[in-house]
Amino acid sequence: MTERKLTISLAGNANVGKSVIFNQLTGLHQHIGNWPGKTVERAEGTLHFKGYTIDIIDLPGIYSLSTFSMEELVSREYIAVERPDLVINVVDASVLERNLFFTLQIMELETPMVMALNQMDMAKKKGIKIDHKKLQKLLGIPVILTVAIKGTGVYELLERSVEITEKGGIKPPEIKYGEEIEERIKKIAKSIEKIQFTYPARWAAIKLLEGDEQIRKEIREINPEVLATAEKLAKEIGEIHGHFCSDVIISGRYEVAGKIAREVQQIVPQIRPPVRERLHTLTTHKIFGYPIMIMVLLSMFYSIFTFGDYASRFLSDLFYGWEPIIRSVFGAGIVGELIWDGAIEGFIAGVTIALPYIVPFYLILYVLEDSGYLSRIAFLMDTLMHKIGLHGKAFIPAMLAYGCNVPACLGCRIMETQRERLLAAFVVTLVPCAARTVVILGLVGAFVGFQWALALYVIDLLIIFLLGRIAFKTLPGEPTALIMEMHDYRVPHLKTVMTQTWFRLREFIKVAFPLIIVGSLVIKVIGILNLLEPIANILSPVTATWLGLPAITGITLIFGVLRKELTLIMLATLLGTTDFAQVLTPVQIIVFALVTMLYIPCIATIAALTREFGWKRALFITVFEIVFAIVVGGVTLRLLVLAKIW
Amino acid sequence: MERRKGVERVKLPLTALRDGESGIITSIKAGRGRGGGRGGRGWGFKKRLMDMGLTPGTRITVVRSAPFHGPLEVSVRGSRLALGRGMAERILVEIKE
Repeated sequence: MTERKLTISLAGNANVGKSVIFNQLTGLHQHIGNWPGKTVERAEGTLHFKGYTIDIIDLPGIYSLSTFSMEELVSREYIAVERPDLVINVVDASVLERNLFFTLQIMELETPMVMALNQMDMAKKKGIKIDHKKLQKLLGIPVILTVAIKGTGVYELLERSVEITEKGGIKPPEIKYGEEIEERIKKIAKSIEKIQFTYPARWAAIKLLEGDEQIRKEIREINPEVLATAEKLAKEIGEIHGHFCSDVIISGRYEVAGKIAREVQQIVPQIRPPVRERLHTLTTHKIFGYPIMIMVLLSMFYSIFTFGDYASRFLSDLFYGWEPIIRSVFGAGIVGELIWDGAIEGFIAGVTIALPYIVPFYLILYVLEDSGYLSRIAFLMDTLMHKIGLHGKAFIPAMLAYGCNVPACLGCRIMETQRERLLAAFVVTLVPCAARTVVILGLVGAFVGFQWALALYVIDLLIIFLLGRIAFKTLPGEPTALIMEMHDYRVPHLKTVMTQTWFRLREFIKVAFPLIIVGSLVIKVIGILNLLEPIANILSPVTATWLGLPAITGITLIFGVLRKELTLIMLATLLGTTDFAQVLTPVQIIVFALVTMLYIPCIATIAALTREFGWKRALFITVFEIVFAIVVGGVTLRLLVLAKIW
Repeated sequence: MERRKGVERVKLPLTALRDGESGIITSIKAGRGRGGGRGGRGWGFKKRLMDMGLTPGTRITVVRSAPFHGPLEVSVRGSRLALGRGMAERILVEIKE
């Protein structure tokens, strides 16, 4: 033996501390990407332990191994087909029964496994005592107690996992359903064994009884007779129980889970509701819930913008301090101009504009998520989001979009279906990000009046609402409903929050930076070739005639594709002043800001959209928003002129 | 839906329960239209509810409901879930009066 390699995957419900265990095991040796061909995140890490190189795959947090979501499909395919050496099932000890339902499903996949009974401290606080030795005996798989956030039990977990794989992996015992079901499972399994199916025969038999679409399809392709038999037997079970067979199977599995849970756990009712319970009651309260939420969000944005503003200035001073040195290295010719004004300016812009806002944004977001507050916000905002065909969870990317649209687009993955993801992403691109806020406040807020800046925000909200509703009505498919777990409040695990922020940030840089830099280069080349002026003239029927703006603004709007706040910077450069009131009328300022706010997702957002939904949809959204912004801008101009306010 | 008096057990949609009340789940309607068929979205959501532990015969408690016709917070099998109102309307429960 030259190289000893192991593959271990982590599986479990959402919010059970799986990612904490993953981080404890792998530290920064992680790679986050996508499952091939899917927009499901794949987190992978490596570690060295007792002469082994162990590959850890963190599967998405799911509640079942059916076909409800892409995450579930990916997970079961991985466990059943790619066959990791071992599965570590991370279980939240404080919600044992529901977690066991998932455990039983992994056991059905007949893969060697170990259970990490996690959050034992939380369970204890809730008055739940678990006899883990008994649990181990009843399930027939090793159970290790862990408190992942403290690192307790993680070493033992790894030790036991390696030990089991060294023994060649122990297949977990079968879960027995009622006799009338078992009999039929065996019959179906026998016929599946004959057709050489990719999945374990017994598992596939159970899935056929559950009416699993994917397995039905695959079996039908190989041998339709097997499917016909299974359907007949499923019907029989249904008739015996007076329910759909699929319901009977799920109930049966829950029955087993419930029985085991009752046997191993003792619950001591608590006399006084603990702090986290009272906090939950307060933050989901009919009346107090909303002001609390608004306060949390406002203070979040306030601190992000304060910090971002400071950090942004600091960083740009730092970078521009290097300007003379770099210029002198590359000379004053075209090469120097391209390198400094094109590539490096683009890079600096990314670093000084995006990072100061995005880093704190992610940090706070993950703290809110990990603590459990985000799910309470989704609970409170569900009704509102339903108006545009989304549910409460969509509020989270929408909120994220006020910081930056790029992570918000990527964050739309928390929605369950592709349709909802697209709808949410469309809404998200209309939300004014930090850069657009800079333009609105810097132009309208400073030169027309704060109330007009505020009015623009209100108009934007109305537009989001209206367009969201139209998109929801036109996109095919049914609206979906909120089904979300609200786990107990807990103190966020700082290390996990930090690593999550770091990996998100890396993803952002990978998606956005190349385009920002290439984009600045292209525009610089256009500038060197003296094409800016002709382009502005070509655009003048739109900018000058329809929108009533100086023709030169066409150029700034082109720059704005790179980053929205460039419209403001370029406007100052091209008009030769920062006192915009001298050169633009209030109406022009408002129209300009409105168009900037709406006209296109910036180039990095387009990249994020392309990555998530393909270039056709990204292009469609882009073109739509350009046309829409021009129409709205022109109409606003005429309304404002008619109103004769100035 | 009204509660009929004199009847020992009544079947109600979950949304008819007051905050703090609990009942036993009798069935979940798969939803209307095309999406209600096997393999459709309505079916999928029924299955998801069951996967989350809302199987017939299970005790479910409405902890609170969000204002403006919002979702319900329910407690089932020791876990706390938020359910959209449209979803909750399809869950039928039986309560002992």
